[in-house]
Amino acid sequence: MTAVVYGVGSSPYAKQPERSAADLVAEAVLEALTDADVTSVDAVYVGTVFGAPGVAQRSLHPLGIVDVPVLAIENACASGTSAFHEARAAILAGRYERVLVVGIETMTARFGGAIHPELTDAEGRQGLALPSLYAMAATRYLRDGAVTREQLALVSVKNHRHAIGNPRAHYSGEYTVEEVLGSRMIADPLTLLQCCPISDGAAAAVLGPRRGVSRDVPIRGSALRSGGLWDHRSSHVWGYQLVRDTAALAYEEAGIGPEDVDFFEVHDAFTIGEIVTTEALGLAEAGGGGALVESGHTSLGGAQPVNPSGGLLSRGHPLGCTGVAQVAEVVWQLRGEAGGRQVGGARVGVIETMGGGVSGIDGNGAVVAVLGG
Amino acid sequence: MTELPDPRPRVCDGDDGTVRVVGVRCRACGYTSGLSRPRCPDCHGPVDEALFGPGGRVWSATVVRIPVPGRTPPWSLAYVDLDGGARVLAHVRGAGGTVADVGARVRVGGVGPDGDLEVEEMP
Repeated sequence: MTAVVYGVGSSPYAKQPERSAADLVAEAVLEALTDADVTSVDAVYVGTVFGAPGVAQRSLHPLGIVDVPVLAIENACASGTSAFHEARAAILAGRYERVLVVGIETMTARFGGAIHPELTDAEGRQGLALPSLYAMAATRYLRDGAVTREQLALVSVKNHRHAIGNPRAHYSGEYTVEEVLGSRMIADPLTLLQCCPISDGAAAAVLGPRRGVSRDVPIRGSALRSGGLWDHRSSHVWGYQLVRDTAALAYEEAGIGPEDVDFFEVHDAFTIGEIVTTEALGLAEAGGGGALVESGHTSLGGAQPVNPSGGLLSRGHPLGCTGVAQVAEVVWQLRGEAGGRQVGGARVGVIETMGGGVSGIDGNGAVVAVLGG
Repeated sequence: MTELPDPRPRVCDGDDGTVRVVGVRCRACGYTSGLSRPRCPDCHGPVDEALFGPGGRVWSATVVRIPVPGRTPPWSLAYVDLDGGARVLAHVRGAGGTVADVGARVRVGGVGPDGDLEVEEMP
């Protein structure tokens, strides 16, 4: 059996604290149900991180989505794709015919600035805010000569430019490398324009078995793992091995390699994240991600565009929503519905999401999924 | 409000004036951690308390320049691979807005007034 995506939808991704989670979810879910041409679902899998207790049911019952199993999943930034992964597994197991996946996050009413470090975590309690976790990787890469500051900045330039074609993006624009490097320092060496914004948003997807509709998008592989121990024995930066190992599982299930993929939507919460991730996904050797972005290979119009939507850096990063937003983007791209950011000849797309915040391991969770083909 | 349990590394003052981090070593495989663990997270064997440092080497570093609740920026952080085998996150004492050098030798300075593990750069 193959599970497919019937339809997708989303709210805009923006600072919109005046809108409730239920309001954002209604916009995303109604678009997805219409797109899927279905009127009811058998179960709902929801990804959310900071959602209030009951945010899933509170957002769904006004739409009359009641009486069915509703499950909320928290897996840090990979919450949305974890919900997607589990929904697909439930379909393959024959548990349900139609499953709704929803990603929800309202952040700007909760955080005035960066996400607060988690005080129950050994490193969070020491003040390791999330930008500094990625900054540690960036410092090490710079020291090892694996990337340059300019190459880091080019990820930001590229993704903000891509988002100009995405009307749902949090923000977008033409920036220069100098502007990126000259923006306010957040955690050395990462500057403001190398960090994703705090966004509010919801996204939705309807999944089910094949039904003979040509615009449905097949899910050819999906893998979910949590990180192994990350400690003094680890020579790779945080997260590399987890993404590499998760990608290997997804590629194997899909029967493809990275060379067969036409475009990627990956976890670029910070510029160094995209560099390390493209290496872990096999687009470049370890230490080759900086040269890859500099070559134009990952730009729209290049051989394998990465983050044509603008990515987390520019589309925005409502945590639990992000994975489902990536699913929606890949579906629009594969159908040729992506407008001004359309990847030419897009047949196979890969999604990668990476969640962190628990110290001592290589990541809370990563999901890699292969769609299309 | 009740205070949360403190998950940060603990230290032990030596008779020679040095400070070490209190962690564990696995009796079966020798795995080491700079934090308390109920069993070896690698081989699941039994662990004994063990001391790490006082010296170590900076694996990577950054300076945080954004506020978070209870902290005023900037603060200088480093991942330090302690002698004896344990990577710990530590504040670099007195560094202010300066990023510690990757590869530099440091020593455990102790626990600061706010409960943070601190290291000092070696002259």
